[in-house]
Amino acid sequence: MSFSFNETNNLKIELLSKRYPQKKALILPLLWLAQKQEGFISEEAMVKISELSHMPYMHIYSVASFYSMFRLVKNEKKVVEVCRTLSCELNGSQVIKKHLLENYSDKYEILEVECMGACGGAPMCTLEGKYIENVTPKMLDEVLNAN
Amino acid sequence: MQTKIVSKNFEIPHANSLEVALKNGRYTSLEKLFTYQPQEVIDIIKTSNLRGKGGGGAPAGAKWQLASDFEGKKYLVVNADESEPGTFKDRQIISKDPHLLIEGIICTCYAIGANSSYIYVRGEYEEFSDILQIAIDEAYAKNILGDEAKYPVEITIHRGAGAYICGEKSALLESLEGNRGHPRLKPKSPEPEFYFGEPTLVNNVETIASVPFIIENGAEAYTAYGTDCSSGTLLFAISGHVEKAGVYEAEFGVGMWDYIQKLGGGVKNGKKLKAVIPGGASTPILPAHLVMEAKLDYENLKSLGSALGTGGMIVLDEDVSMVKALKNLLRFYHHESCGQCTPCREGTSWVDKTLDKFINKTATLQDLEVLKSVSKSMNGQTICVFAPAASGVIDGFLKHFESEFLECIV
Ligand SMILES: Cc1cc2nc3c(=O)[nH]c(=O)nc-3n(C[C@H](O)[C@H](O)[C@H](O)COP(=O)(O)O)c2cc1C
Ligand code: SF4
Ligand code: FES
Repeated sequence: MSFSFNETNNLKIELLSKRYPQKKALILPLLWLAQKQEGFISEEAMVKISELSHMPYMHIYSVASFYSMFRLVKNEKKVVEVCRTLSCELNGSQVIKKHLLENYSDKYEILEVECMGACGGAPMCTLEGKYIENVTPKMLDEVLNAN
Repeated sequence: MQTKIVSKNFEIPHANSLEVALKNGRYTSLEKLFTYQPQEVIDIIKTSNLRGKGGGGAPAGAKWQLASDFEGKKYLVVNADESEPGTFKDRQIISKDPHLLIEGIICTCYAIGANSSYIYVRGEYEEFSDILQIAIDEAYAKNILGDEAKYPVEITIHRGAGAYICGEKSALLESLEGNRGHPRLKPKSPEPEFYFGEPTLVNNVETIASVPFIIENGAEAYTAYGTDCSSGTLLFAISGHVEKAGVYEAEFGVGMWDYIQKLGGGVKNGKKLKAVIPGGASTPILPAHLVMEAKLDYENLKSLGSALGTGGMIVLDEDVSMVKALKNLLRFYHHESCGQCTPCREGTSWVDKTLDKFINKTATLQDLEVLKSVSKSMNGQTICVFAPAASGVIDGFLKHFESEFLECIV
């Protein structure tokens, strides 16, 4: 199976190429576009990115695996992230995590993450990347059952 | 108690749209800007004593001068990585008043002679960087940005992908070049940063967003706020055990306890204060009695053995276990170490694991010594200040709350 970017993304790539002094700088933007397009970053996508950025495949792989938000395996379930850092822990992130694990781990992938910059709305979690702040078990039930 | 300079438009509905932004004073500083020579702008920033708001408090003017002194192509990179636990201020600017940031970028690029800029936004902030992107697109459409603008500036948002260390400026530039986010070795003498070998200025979002006010109103209007050494205001953030967590701008020099009570609404549920981590997770903790005398400026917090950092206060009430709080923070450092330096990679891991023994009350006196000696080994022999910061965090907890650690010893 080979990978190619869709038309919209190819247009974006053309624009982006003008914005960076070297092709190598496209690696992160291209990894994001690939992940958006397929839901994860496949080996084939990394081969393509290696061509477009004029960098060896191993470099692409090494970069992709460094950053925690890049997913190198396909994920069938939707992702819920719970922040576990201090402001959230002080405001009950453990209760949120427990509620999620006990009730939703079959339908969702539950991940613990570090501070998301939402400490003012602690405890917080995300659903498919979207922030839910001052979250309570009841709110989770409403949001997750509706999804 | 609030002083609204950067946050002036935060409450205005739709201030993120160009139309509303223009009605509320955005881009008016540009008229003034173009009456000055670039060097004059740098001199104004120097006189204003504007200090970097990303955590270090380095004078902005001197950094601008370093970048400006180079001939040829240069870049401005805006640091919107905002990953320091307890810090959530740049996000407010990006989502509530993105045109203020764009205006600041134009002023800064003009001053240092750059035409290209990047805003490095942490990957998790997708919702907020989308708002910023719309504002940038609007500014291009109206020739505020781009080739047709009075002074041509390009702005490109570069999305991070989940790595705390990419907030460190040289790691950020590595990431922007398409590499892993590994900090670079520091030069011996002052010099700008380099992006693909070209001189580059890296400033925090809030630093850049403070520039239009200074250009428009003059340096003295800025130094009228704050203290002699810490001029102006900061978007202080407050979280943890407080009634009204949030971001409230205030002058440097206000009392910390005053701030917590008046703006933070006091300690949650009427509990007593135990301690405050004053400026993001990487600043040493202050016990309640020092909080009472602390002032929110660089010099005062330094004199109390801590630091102002990002100004993100985390408030801890009387019921908090200091052992658990330190464990929470060290798990963070262990997770986020980039792994290049042995004292950092091994040290954060070792302390994280040793703290489990304290949590489980199976620690020995020797484990306490391990915490102290590992912390010492993390200080001063690493590529970046991540490890020394973690060391300062450990030392702060042990200095002020050692008895709680001793209680966990069998
Ligand atoms: C581990 C580490 C993380 C950092 N994270 C950030 C960050 O998220 N945002 C930021 O603006 N500066 C951060 N900094 C500071 C930057 O290295 C740099 O000093 C700053 O962006 C310069 O801008 P300023 O002078 O306007 O503050 C970090 C530094 C270190 C050592
Ligand atoms: S001190 Fe830690 S985070 Fe900084 S470069 Fe060394 S290993 Fe990486
Ligand atoms: S500690 Fe959870 S968002 Fe900052």
